[in-house]
Amino acid sequence: MSATYDVIVIGAGHNGLTTAAALGRAGRRVLVVEARDVAGGLAASEEFHPGYRSAGLLHDTSGVGSDIVAALGLERHGLRLRRQAADVLTLGDPGDALLLCGEPRRAVAEIESRSAHDAQSYVRYRDALDTWRGILRPFLNEPPVDLLAPESSGAWDLLKRGLRLRRLGRRDLLELLRLTPMCVADWLGEWFETDLLKAGLALPAVAGTFMAPRSPGSNATLLLREGAAGPGIETGAHTLIEALQRAAEAAGVEVRMGAPVSRVGVEGHVRGVRLADGEELQAAVVAASCHPATLFLRLLEPSRVPLRVAHAIGRYRSRGTTAHVLLALRSPLRFRGRDDAPEFARIAGGIDAIERAFDCAKHRRMPHAPVLEVHVPSLASPELAPEGHAVVSILAHFVPYALDGGWDESRRTQLGDRIEETLAAHCDGLDVAARQVATPVDLEARYALPGGNIHHGEHSLDQLLVRPIPECNQYRTPIPGLFLCGSGSHPGGGLSCTPGMLAARAILAR
Amino acid sequence: MSGESAASTPRQASRPSRSSYDAIVIGGGHNGLVCAAYLARAGRSVLLLERRHLLGGSAVSEEIYPGFIYSSCSYIVSLLRPQIVRELDLARHGLEIIPLESTFTPYPDGRSLARWSDPARTREEIRRFSARDADVYPEFGLAMGRLAHFAKNVVDVPAPDPASLDPRELLKLRRLGRTFLDFDGDLRWLNLKLMTMSATDFLSLWFENEQLMAPMSASGIIGTLLGVRSPGTAYVLLHHYMGEIDGAYRAWGFSRGGMGRISEAIGRAAEAHAAEIVTRAGVQRVLLRSGKARGVVLESGEELQARVVISALDPRRTFLQLVGEEHLDAEFVTAIRRFKLRGSSGKVNLALDRLPDFKARPGDGPHIRGDISIAPDFDYLERAYDQAKYGSFSERPFMNIVIPSLVDPSVAPPGKHVMSIFVQWAPYHLAEGAHTWPQRREAFADAVVSTLAEYCPGLPDAILHRQVLTPWDLEQEYGLSEGNIFHGELSMEQLLFLRPAAGWARYRTPIRNLWMCGSGTHPGGGVMGGPGELAAKTLLKAGEI
Amino acid sequence: MPKPTPFHARTSALCSSLFWKEWAGYHAVRSYDTSHEAEYQAIRHAAALLDVTPLYKYEVRGADAAAFLAWVTVRDIRKLKVGRVTYLCWCDDAGKVVDDGTVARLAENAFRVTAAEPALAWLRTHARGFDVEIDESTEQLGALALQGPFSRDILADVTDADIRALKFFAVTRAHIHGTETWISRTGYTGDLGYEIWVPRERALQVWDVLMDAGRSYRLLPAGLDALDVARVEAGFLMNGVDYFSSNHCPIESRKSTPFELGLGWTVKLERDPFVGQRALQRESQSGPRWGFVGLEIDWVEYERLFAEFGLPPQVPGAAWRAAVPVYDLRGHQVGRATSGAWSPILKRNLALASVRSEFGSVGTRLRIEVTAEYQRRAIAATVRATPFYNPERKRAT
Repeated sequence: MSATYDVIVIGAGHNGLTTAAALGRAGRRVLVVEARDVAGGLAASEEFHPGYRSAGLLHDTSGVGSDIVAALGLERHGLRLRRQAADVLTLGDPGDALLLCGEPRRAVAEIESRSAHDAQSYVRYRDALDTWRGILRPFLNEPPVDLLAPESSGAWDLLKRGLRLRRLGRRDLLELLRLTPMCVADWLGEWFETDLLKAGLALPAVAGTFMAPRSPGSNATLLLREGAAGPGIETGAHTLIEALQRAAEAAGVEVRMGAPVSRVGVEGHVRGVRLADGEELQAAVVAASCHPATLFLRLLEPSRVPLRVAHAIGRYRSRGTTAHVLLALRSPLRFRGRDDAPEFARIAGGIDAIERAFDCAKHRRMPHAPVLEVHVPSLASPELAPEGHAVVSILAHFVPYALDGGWDESRRTQLGDRIEETLAAHCDGLDVAARQVATPVDLEARYALPGGNIHHGEHSLDQLLVRPIPECNQYRTPIPGLFLCGSGSHPGGGLSCTPGMLAARAILAR
Repeated sequence: MSGESAASTPRQASRPSRSSYDAIVIGGGHNGLVCAAYLARAGRSVLLLERRHLLGGSAVSEEIYPGFIYSSCSYIVSLLRPQIVRELDLARHGLEIIPLESTFTPYPDGRSLARWSDPARTREEIRRFSARDADVYPEFGLAMGRLAHFAKNVVDVPAPDPASLDPRELLKLRRLGRTFLDFDGDLRWLNLKLMTMSATDFLSLWFENEQLMAPMSASGIIGTLLGVRSPGTAYVLLHHYMGEIDGAYRAWGFSRGGMGRISEAIGRAAEAHAAEIVTRAGVQRVLLRSGKARGVVLESGEELQARVVISALDPRRTFLQLVGEEHLDAEFVTAIRRFKLRGSSGKVNLALDRLPDFKARPGDGPHIRGDISIAPDFDYLERAYDQAKYGSFSERPFMNIVIPSLVDPSVAPPGKHVMSIFVQWAPYHLAEGAHTWPQRREAFADAVVSTLAEYCPGLPDAILHRQVLTPWDLEQEYGLSEGNIFHGELSMEQLLFLRPAAGWARYRTPIRNLWMCGSGTHPGGGVMGGPGELAAKTLLKAGEI
Repeated sequence: MPKPTPFHARTSALCSSLFWKEWAGYHAVRSYDTSHEAEYQAIRHAAALLDVTPLYKYEVRGADAAAFLAWVTVRDIRKLKVGRVTYLCWCDDAGKVVDDGTVARLAENAFRVTAAEPALAWLRTHARGFDVEIDESTEQLGALALQGPFSRDILADVTDADIRALKFFAVTRAHIHGTETWISRTGYTGDLGYEIWVPRERALQVWDVLMDAGRSYRLLPAGLDALDVARVEAGFLMNGVDYFSSNHCPIESRKSTPFELGLGWTVKLERDPFVGQRALQRESQSGPRWGFVGLEIDWVEYERLFAEFGLPPQVPGAAWRAAVPVYDLRGHQVGRATSGAWSPILKRNLALASVRSEFGSVGTRLRIEVTAEYQRRAIAATVRATPFYNPERKRAT
């Protein structure tokens, strides 16, 4: 027997660290155990080629809310929030580009060069999103409705939230109910005529999901993202991890790397964890930021998991559709015909182009023309690459986890080539020093993502409303003392840290 | 054929007996007829106007090839509300429903699956594909039955209004909420999943075998421009389980004499209550005076007065054609324009010289007396859908086939048969434009016949005649805008209080004295009669006539 | 459309009454003669041969087979010895009974499970993490029940196994005229009896051997009607009649726990986790809400009731399954009788009932609904211990 803690957190990703830091600040004795040798999970910074470091796989930091930054004192630990959302360059056919500016007036001006109609619509579109954000944010920042609650308390909770929704006013309420189950293609189609603009707005909504722009419910993911969206942080996701880690350590949290958990001990109540090397660590509370399937189907002994839970978790959908490519460039990334150097770009020719890319994933085929989200983290964090060089991180969407015939070295190379060619078509040459390609299967292995889904479970209407299953919808699990605190919980994946924060609150409230 | 002829008897194009009525109903489809019948039953003077020479709209029997009666458009009775059958006494007026015994699916590998109303028999069939799934099948049925119980609370009453401040509305919402909360947690969750998931994902919560799931999933996409893997398609699976809890066991069936008989029966019920029905009387526009509906103007130019006008046409026709957007406020016009129609299906009706054999299970057995699905696996269905997404018809489509002459010999000469093939996907909006459908019509039908011939090699040689209805034809001939068989997609954002537009889901319209009663209103499409019934009851309750 | 069992060629030739029913997808004989009376008497006084093939059978094999069955059922199967059979039930997470049946340990890592309902999906779903293989053997095996006081003598004449030494709820491998079978000393009659498991292709040979050997013991083939009377006398409950599987209940209140069905004795609570354990532990503390009891309907009142109409007492010829209400003495409904029969051997009118637990102790006086001359009345009934009929020979070696 060895050390005893109040809480052991499994996984040092952004959510695990958030939970740990919040609990540490509340005076709990907390240990974080991380299987890998680096903290950060999907946001971990790693040297992928001598002299070149990534800024993590997750590009989008717009979900990092100022409330969590303040609650954990992250600014004291070096995190800086942007004042304005970053510009994103949307690229269609080679030569066709549209800059989506974070600053509203510039954004309208850019769109106006394409379509006066769309420019006007865009103003109203942003206004509408602002309205929805006001109503959605509280929903995202508090635990979801407990579906299993007995009738009386369930009714009260529903009523409370129903009343809040009704404050929207009749028109907006009906509109919100109308547009939530819609598909992004239809909704954006009601606003805009420029296909490239629609594609640029649609792509982040379907990224990491098993949905395409024409899939009903994809609008809910757009609203989810927009509902949580802030300006983001000034540098890459890796700096969020660094700040979280420092905040946690400052709060007395112990973080152990290279310490994979092999078993969560349960005797009626959680007892602690056993590490792969056999070491036993005791705690009255275990908070798992890993994928729910990892916890319930691997870390717990089968006989400790209620059948309904095992069955439901087995059917929790987590199909990976994302591949990741890192490029080490010997020169800065330059898009053809542009003298600006945006940090973010999306390559998706139009709604149909995204839809067709998805068709490939649906039919388990190698994508012909992958749609890409491109991030150049070395622009904001020059230390990631040698001077004058660049690091480019590419998320390729709708690459199937279950490729027909399976993934192997030659197919990985083929995928890498296609992604690189797709990017190169928009650039004035790519001077590639090194390339790292990770298929969804590679991501599964590297980050312990069953099924390869980067959100710890697909974002879809049903899996957003109840995440991951009703028994664990409130961060507690049916096993006393065991909690979920990762992206597999409300409000889901991405760099929001909200699941971690809400889980910490649930643990403190117990 | 003698007095037993099943074809809808074309009505005499009689003239209205008077120039003013309590109510004029535009459109003699089943919903218009139901609405007219209920209003007449309540003692109102009612005139129903139908543009075509026969009643029924999409529920018609037509003898297009001598001796063969096609149910040209709709082909199965599914959710005809039992209270309508009771209250309008439709059996007395000629309604006869022959229950559907089975659902049969042949597969390209030569196997086949028939699901029967007898559970033990169904179990044996499924066991040949998956012993596990055979065990689970009844549990799935049980869960769906319980969910259908909830849905019934929604279908048989006007749509709840979640934004209303009226205490009576709040009470209704509360009642609905209670029904939901009365469920145990599992079922609450399941209900949520049903409303949001794709048919394939939902079925995968129970089953493992795709050959079983594929034909089941296909019922989720009928009439939509969605695939079985598209979220939001699961809830339609409920339709199969609604019949049982209506207290009308085996509610799915053939209408003897074709679907037109249903319309005829409702028409007779309406006439029995002294409603007037006039065919060959197309309405040109709604007569408006100082912003209120006062009657209609016929295509002939004749004007007829009424205290209320009720349109059974789809919302687009009703507002943009019969009313005119100049009489409506811009926001409402936008909502109506946004209301998605986009028809996605077509119909091929065949007159057959003889019954062809299905390779997978030859012979004139009970398995082909129900409906037959060509839906061998998910990928097949998705590939068919993918083509439609980009504006072409499926070369190898999903098909739902019935051979009504097997159980109702009155629809074909002795020994001959009628085969009705519902085909999906046939998108109204072809990439080259909807108007190119007439040039693609025969190619479309050829694709249907040749796909079916893979399962049924003797089919092409047995065909005496074929009627091909593309979405374009459904629009031109049957008045369904964009060929949508449900007067508007049954997608989540177009249901309940959003059908056809937010705030206008209670059959009333922004034009005073103009009401709606078609499938474009709650509870939606299918030969259900719900919209017609609820519109009439709502109108009567409002006391405006 | 029901299918034939492997014994169909023989049973159909003998079934002169043409009284059949569907049982789990098979054709099953209700009674060979137009009256089941003689078949019932054979069970109690001579020997009877019943085709019980439709009973669902599953083979569970593998290193974790015992641990798996200990996890999915209420018994600690790891303690079951090779060559022994046990009766038990299995529950869902909430401790509600899914089905009841037997488990036979054929070898260290091989078990045979019998069930009233299909259980393959249920077993497989719950096998995650266990090294087991689960296969259904219902179709591969023919099953016969040889029941009655002379069943032992008949079997002893035709097998190489030491049948006379085979203990109650034991199972052994045995050859019957060269056919390899499994024989267990089990049954659904509450009498001395055996069940014989035979590969389907050898089914008819075994049937013939047993019928031949049985001739001198007045062996009769028997159908389900006779069995139904015997099982009520034995106090055995029946899935789908006396209770409903939690898998098929549309409402919670229709589900039952093992304690409520009188199966508490099969539940071993204090051990490693098993499905439903926590809920059952809670219930064992608070006590069950219902009790499953035997009722004896008062004969004097019964006679008097019919006499009111000038009728002699009419007892149902066969066992009944249409549930009737049970009341306390003040006339409040406290339960339901779910099956019953007139016992020819005990000369008593019996019923099996679920009553609120405070009315479940032996000797409690209740009232039960009886219909006489189209009128519904309540007459006296007394809670009795089950089995109603329990002959020494059932267990004796």
